Amino acid sequence: MSLGFVMSLIEVNAVSKAFWIPSVRRDTVREHLLGLLQPRQFQRLQVLDDVSFDLRPGEALGVMGRNGSGKSTLLKIVCGVYPPDRGRVHVRAAVTPILELGVGWNPELDAVDNVLLIGSVMGLSLRQIHQSMDEILTFAELERFANLKLKHFSSGMSARLGYAVAFKAVREVLVLDEIFAVGDAGFKARCEERYWALRALGHTVIIVSHDPRVISSFCDRALLLEGGRIMMDGKAHEIADRYVSMLTH
Amino acid sequence: MTASAGTKLESTPSAPAVADPAARAADARPAVVRAGLIWTLVRTDFKARYHGTFGGFFWALLKPLTMFIVLMAVFSFLFASNPTYKLDLIVGLFLWDFFAEGTKSGLTSLHARGFLLTKARFPSWILVVTSISNAVITLAVFCVVIAIFLIAAGHPPGVAALVAFAGYCAALIAIVIGFSLGSSVLFLRYRDLNQVWDVVVQAGFFFAPIIYPLGILPERFHIYLYLWPPTPIIEFSRAALVNGVIPTRAAHLYLAADAVICLLLGIVIFRRLGPRAAEYL
Repeated sequence: MSLGFVMSLIEVNAVSKAFWIPSVRRDTVREHLLGLLQPRQFQRLQVLDDVSFDLRPGEALGVMGRNGSGKSTLLKIVCGVYPPDRGRVHVRAAVTPILELGVGWNPELDAVDNVLLIGSVMGLSLRQIHQSMDEILTFAELERFANLKLKHFSSGMSARLGYAVAFKAVREVLVLDEIFAVGDAGFKARCEERYWALRALGHTVIIVSHDPRVISSFCDRALLLEGGRIMMDGKAHEIADRYVSMLTH
Repeated sequence: MTASAGTKLESTPSAPAVADPAARAADARPAVVRAGLIWTLVRTDFKARYHGTFGGFFWALLKPLTMFIVLMAVFSFLFASNPTYKLDLIVGLFLWDFFAEGTKSGLTSLHARGFLLTKARFPSWILVVTSISNAVITLAVFCVVIAIFLIAAGHPPGVAALVAFAGYCAALIAIVIGFSLGSSVLFLRYRDLNQVWDVVVQAGFFFAPIIYPLGILPERFHIYLYLWPPTPIIEFSRAALVNGVIPTRAAHLYLAADAVICLLLGIVIFRRLGPRAAEYL
């Protein structure tokens, strides 16, 4: 889809994704061999069906929908973590995702090494990470725990560190799954401050949330997903209202 | 970006319009970022495995060294007529140790580092290839140990032998990388593949001529033993380093074909199943 002379940063065209759910799960060679004479039934679960949208530079797009509507799968496809079954995703910018916070650390390494690892994966050079290390640890309020192994961190501490690294790693597009769902009021306020600073610099954002307040406050535009299809694409506050009425009726 | 049939998932890293030129100007080149990621994976893997100390690393070397001492104590009496048995044993044992450790690490590499796969999009083969870095470091240390043994035993290797041995090590690394690429994505679908491989490795230790000379078996069986990838590498290395005999061109062609087939097979399986790896985590 083309929007006049402004080239989209992300174009999602007719994307579909399905998972095949077996009647009996077999994860091992032994289970497959023992089950050779017992064929399984597979049920097709259509998670996304012919989804299309685009994202222009500087835009903040919200994605809403009930559990199982395909929000997280859509984010993973946009971020390149999952390939789509059909359709096309064209990404013209560096995407920094914050997905599944709290899982994604090496528990045997300390905070500094984990920051180096995740920062490298997110596209930062070692020099950039070393230069930003103090800032990252300060943002996460973990300066005192820099050399503590992650296995001793609480889930909240790990999540704060995840946000701190990702906010530093953002280059063009930031993708957030359940924004600001972690930390105390002070940390949330710092995240919001950082979010608006990034928006002021012109960064583009995609936010998935169940919270109508988050979508109305932080997004310009939003999508409402239902059963893997886009039910509505419009202004953020309209989508938030529609989502609330969908849940209450 | 790889994708399944009928899929288009394209990426053009240069953004046409972002209002933060300072951030873009500070962007590191992809090659620098990738080099940093590789180095960080190698360093943190070493640190996590050996508790960040060289003492931990040398402690890990004790396992194959102890194995060498025990096997030498037992079998050097059995093969007392072979004057180079101890040297043959140390060459075979250390090359086997790399093969066994490298393939075991490679097989579980994507699962062990799966948390990174769901974080962002990056070439996932890096996770597999760097997972054998510890085994490569150990192999390098053992190469020095082998050289010391050879010199002490009055068999200093010549330049041609060292060059040939370097080639054999490269072929072995290619075989281990090929196996790791293929098995790492299969392990996500078959979670007991590591147990199956453990059994294969145990049997393979005796199938390869490590503790016994190949010559004690009837020649008609040799061809079957050579089908097991570590066998030609161990035999050729012994010929070059211990006996000072460089194997024939045909032998080298066979080894090269063996390594290339293993590597290509691993790449094909990885390219086919790798794009969906995150769905199996």
